[in-house]
Amino acid sequence: MGRRQYVFPQAGDDLAAIAARELPSTEHGAQQLLSWNLHLAARAGLGRSGGLLPSDIVFTEPPPAASTP
Amino acid sequence: MLDLVIRDGLIVDGSGLPARRGDVAVVGGRIVSVGGRAGEARRVIDATGRVVAPGFIDPHTHYDAQLCFDPYAFPAIEHGVTTVVPGNCSLSLAPLRIDQRDAFSRMFRLIEEMPEAAFDAGVDWRWGEGFGGWLDALTGNLALNVAPLVGHSVLRMFVMGPDAQARAATAEEIGAMADLLRTCLDAGAVGLSTSFVDIDESYRPVPSRWAAPEELDALSAVLGERDAILQIVHEFFDTDLTIARIEQLAELSLRHGITTTLSPLFHSDANHRGVMRVMEAIESARARGAAVWPQVQTRPIDISFTLDQRSLMLLTMPTWWKVASIRDRNDKLAAVADQRQALVDEMNGLALRPNAGLGAGGFVVRDVVHQRNDDLIGRSIDDIARDRGTTHGDTIVDLALDEDLGTWFIRASIGHQNSQAVGELLAHPYVHLGASDGGAHVGSFSTFGDTGYLFSEFVRTTKSLSLEAAVKKITLDPAQIWKLRGRGLLSAGYAADVVVFDADTIGRGPEIASDDFPGDGLRWIRRQEGVDTVVVNGEVTWSAVDGYVAGARAGEIATRS
Repeated sequence: MGRRQYVFPQAGDDLAAIAARELPSTEHGAQQLLSWNLHLAARAGLGRSGGLLPSDIVFTEPPPAASTP
Repeated sequence: MLDLVIRDGLIVDGSGLPARRGDVAVVGGRIVSVGGRAGEARRVIDATGRVVAPGFIDPHTHYDAQLCFDPYAFPAIEHGVTTVVPGNCSLSLAPLRIDQRDAFSRMFRLIEEMPEAAFDAGVDWRWGEGFGGWLDALTGNLALNVAPLVGHSVLRMFVMGPDAQARAATAEEIGAMADLLRTCLDAGAVGLSTSFVDIDESYRPVPSRWAAPEELDALSAVLGERDAILQIVHEFFDTDLTIARIEQLAELSLRHGITTTLSPLFHSDANHRGVMRVMEAIESARARGAAVWPQVQTRPIDISFTLDQRSLMLLTMPTWWKVASIRDRNDKLAAVADQRQALVDEMNGLALRPNAGLGAGGFVVRDVVHQRNDDLIGRSIDDIARDRGTTHGDTIVDLALDEDLGTWFIRASIGHQNSQAVGELLAHPYVHLGASDGGAHVGSFSTFGDTGYLFSEFVRTTKSLSLEAAVKKITLDPAQIWKLRGRGLLSAGYAADVVVFDADTIGRGPEIASDDFPGDGLRWIRRQEGVDTVVVNGEVTWSAVDGYVAGARAGEIATRS
């Protein structure tokens, strides 16, 4: 099982900017990213100012499906 | 005439090779011969029936503050530890500007759970601001060896001031940090530490978390110039984030030729597959040629807490945290009474979280103040609550109030307690045994005795490692990973850091409360079991017969190869 695709924020990025770059054809891309990044969703203040830290990992795909027995 | 001979022991030299009987001879702080029969010496230690091994190396500690007032890092030495690595997780006492001491101290005390009174009484900042000054202040006043890391957060604070916790660095600031890192490494730092998880007392991310990947890359390039190590504390609670950090470390390792280490990696029965995925990522990184070492501790996780002082356990419960932070006792008691329902609700909320352990008896009364409550010691909150017909939260708060907040509770079996699975991890060739957190979290759990537990649990009980392999894991392996020149091996020319112990009885000892720190408050420690003698750079520093040797100061700032 491999690693999940991710990016680091670029200067001035918020989730909308990352979504526009990484998920250009996805409607509600920022919300989609938020749903895949619980560690960011849980952080206070995210909705107010973008809330991303330069060192953050932002996953650009959902968590892996459960492995089959 | 030899200075010291350790006579007729079972020599386990740190290499992993089979043990053999013989003598270890020392002159002037160095080993001069290993095996066979050594000549006469000024001092002879009879090691008949005992193991003679290199002194143990503890690679993940926070003794930074304790070393300022306790040259023995009590009780680390009696467990056989002769070299410690402080400065982990982005926090070191230097370099730091004078006007940043207060902010840094609050951050350090919170993250590493060091009581304020002990920190303030012990850390006198006599070295000024620079990293070299701090090492100069320690030199000559150490009973064990110190291989210090410099913290990324303090580098940022020194260069960027308050902006260290506000934004990414400019190219000029990154250049200044790189220069400062060079200075620290040249003064004696063995590497750089950084953190991707910690917060300060205002719940703000620590400075290192504001660093863009380019900044860490530039600092790693400096580490590459000086052949120094990078340590990170990562998002250890999340498998995918951990794997992403491993990939980031692998890239840095390959690009700059550096060794990297991440800590901690815990095992959890609830996430066994996740741990396996992490190890697959490590193996993948190694296959590419990257040096990425996950640190795994030996001890299971538990946390003790009281309403009387702040604890890691209370961090996610704002009312509990606020109440425990109040210094004045009367004010605190009044706040508990006033905030009672919020305290109860928060604790009951914790009980609803998956794997909280409350319903399974995970919370236990550890110690009580009043004799009338003695029968509660060792009983689970779940059990007591059922008897009383109250909620778990009510039970804890009522008991604490009945005892003026002096009751101690313990949340046991949080994780890392499956010895079979942990043993397999520890034996893995790509796993670095460490992450003790020595000197930190003093009111939550004991960070001492992990090495004794390695032998009692994983050599004698589960037999996950042979005696020789276990010794290698805490001697020559860390010495090579951290590039500690002339340590970790019993061989001619190496430093005479030696521990003599009984392989049949060495253990970590029971966890006991101690009031030995400056100021009020208790900390949890463990006293050694089964250790006979500890020698640091040729000087007997502790023995089971004489205890700590007064004035023993043979410890050094360990140098990189």
